Amino acid sequence: MKRLIILTVVLFTMLLSGCAIHHPQTAEEFRKAVPGAFMGKVETLEVNRPFSDVAKTFQKKAPECLNVTVKTTSQTRMSYQVIVTTYKPTVLVAAEKAELHVQFHHEAGVLNVSKEPEGGYYLLVADAYPINKNTTRVDLYRPSMGHDVLIKAIKGWASGENVGCPDLTKS
Amino acid sequence: METNTNVMSRYITGLLVTVSLLTGCLGIRPYPNTMDKNLHIQTKTDSGSFFSKVRAAVDIYRVDADCKTKYEGTIQLNEPSVDVGIPSHRLSYLVFVFSSSSFLASSNSTVTHDTLLKPSAGYNYDIKVSYIDDIYNVVIRETHPRKPGSRDIELKDLSACGGF
Repeated sequence: MKRLIILTVVLFTMLLSGCAIHHPQTAEEFRKAVPGAFMGKVETLEVNRPFSDVAKTFQKKAPECLNVTVKTTSQTRMSYQVIVTTYKPTVLVAAEKAELHVQFHHEAGVLNVSKEPEGGYYLLVADAYPINKNTTRVDLYRPSMGHDVLIKAIKGWASGENVGCPDLTKS
Repeated sequence: METNTNVMSRYITGLLVTVSLLTGCLGIRPYPNTMDKNLHIQTKTDSGSFFSKVRAAVDIYRVDADCKTKYEGTIQLNEPSVDVGIPSHRLSYLVFVFSSSSFLASSNSTVTHDTLLKPSAGYNYDIKVSYIDDIYNVVIRETHPRKPGSRDIELKDLSACGGF
């Protein structure tokens, strides 16, 4: 399972980078790249929650939960692999839009194949917009495979139904 | 052919190694928990899979005026509810540890969630700890037995120590 996720991330990285030549260097580049990427997905959801509440939850939970370094080890009879990954969340809130960017940087165990943006490769971008007083739309630019726990957590923050932190050792 | 003495000697050595690994050598020791109980910790864990399990615990540290921590011990959160006593009017550092193990993949992982807490005298702190389907949460609510209302305590990591 872990190998599948690692493979997914590598493929996702390569596909987004156009065969390992260029990787999105900004959140805006990431938004543009995801719809056409083989393992990228744009998902839209509407939540029955005021925009300001969604923005506040992003501001509170992202630094609390996603500012982490995760060490994963996998061992078989023939190999032993250690991967150290640091995640970096960024939340930007304006009057009509709240953005949550999640980046990751491999400290050890993975060879980078393209230029890495400052703060790490983009893994996910969530944009929240007010639709009306009590409804907010959230656009998720995300991988279509893997990182289910992270995606589930961010959806929970948006809806307010589950404001827990994702166990990123399971990503 | 091994003598009974040799077998017994190996058995005792193995037992001592196991005990020392489980206690001192790993650096984990039970928190004495002798003070008046002001933390009421409710724990729910569910790995979401028959083939894996999750265990929760809280490591308790004393924090001095220079924001240096000293490990005081660990409380295993194996029961749905556990009462713990920590000093009032003094900063403590609580590290909630969630350890998962998968039987099939023979893998282990640990994730932690930490906060500083400075309890006020006479107040109780209801702490809800959960790890369900790979999502974990710690919520702390301050209440007073004779005063109405309650308030959520914001979790603050060690870097916020200077602000207390």
